[in-house]
Amino acid sequence: MAAFFIFLIWSISTRQALLFLVGIGMGMALAGFRFGFTTGWRQLIEDRDPRGVAGQVLLLGLGALLAIPLMAQFPELKAALGPPSVSLILGAFVFGLTMQIADGCGSGTLYKAGMGIPLNAGILPLFALGSFLGSVHLHHFLALGQTEPIGLLETTGTAGALGITLLLLAISVGLVRLWVGAGRAWLDARWIKGAIVLAVLATLNLLLAGQPWGVVYGFGLWAAKGVTAAGLFDPSTNPFWSQAGNAERLGQTVLLDVTSITNIGILAGALWVASRGASETAKPLTGQQWLIGLLAGFIMGYSSRLAFGCNVGAMLSGITTGSLHGWLWVPAAFAGTLIGVRVRRRYGF
Amino acid sequence: MASNTSLKIIFWIVLLAFIAWDLQASAPVDLRNEPPVIAAGSGQVASGGHCSMPR
Repeated sequence: MAAFFIFLIWSISTRQALLFLVGIGMGMALAGFRFGFTTGWRQLIEDRDPRGVAGQVLLLGLGALLAIPLMAQFPELKAALGPPSVSLILGAFVFGLTMQIADGCGSGTLYKAGMGIPLNAGILPLFALGSFLGSVHLHHFLALGQTEPIGLLETTGTAGALGITLLLLAISVGLVRLWVGAGRAWLDARWIKGAIVLAVLATLNLLLAGQPWGVVYGFGLWAAKGVTAAGLFDPSTNPFWSQAGNAERLGQTVLLDVTSITNIGILAGALWVASRGASETAKPLTGQQWLIGLLAGFIMGYSSRLAFGCNVGAMLSGITTGSLHGWLWVPAAFAGTLIGVRVRRRYGF
Repeated sequence: MASNTSLKIIFWIVLLAFIAWDLQASAPVDLRNEPPVIAAGSGQVASGGHCSMPR
């Protein structure tokens, strides 16, 4: 890892080297604290255990308190603004469903693959392929109906964006309280530490890169480079990949891409945690479970592009940078998860 | 079925091979045109790819 960090400084850029370190920290936090977005939602639904979701709400609140004032101070910093659209709702629903079967969202797949969980390591390339195909077909889904992205910071100012975000988080906590009932433990050191560390690292990502933390774009870029090099895809004929920024990134090394470098860092950070003996237990899967899990991973990648991000790019980065699309993503993905946990049980995962 | 350790090793070999191939197949890095180390306060609007982008 140290050698790769020095190589990045020497041959790529100092910013990318620093983002690699941020990614390592994210991987260590995700793996070390077992901060799984998918698991937190599943525990809420199946066990009425609010601790994981409480940790995620804390992460969103801290992230917004850090990111929104910084974005107001530094106009260079971009929000994760996705368009409210049919594509977003459909994509988030399918993503929420499949992430339960695949037992990991974008960041979850990364850190579990880094720790050596066989299913997630197998899912990673299929997630990348799905993410690429989703971006190729994105314009068809956008044609079903969309509005321009809505940023709370631009429309309501710093105090308004923070107030609305914290109010919506408080309402979310209230809904969770109604579901779990009285007498439940809400706080768990593991989730709280993970939320604090991830909020700080996500803010560092924003300050260094000028854009919020993302996962899915990097996956799609990797697959796009592979299929383009193999002569299977002509990016100049596709609305997404012919766009100037995407076309430029296709010609550059992935080590210059912001999301790719943090993705590699997350894998490395999780590997580091696993090498210190904190291995994740994974029960052996049947052939049918492998098939269903891999298929779910592919669909998860495809739907993540239609949804303009996963739990990180859409939910965490969208909400903490004041994008309305993050708030539309959550209920749609949660509705999908309600079905996903049942499918997961049905196939004995 | 290969052990988890073997799968881990294969996974990392494939990933490192992809990065090596990508470096060799991509345009050379222009070190004189490096992005700012810290975007905040640099005056340069970020231009990286993100999953929230519609295009």
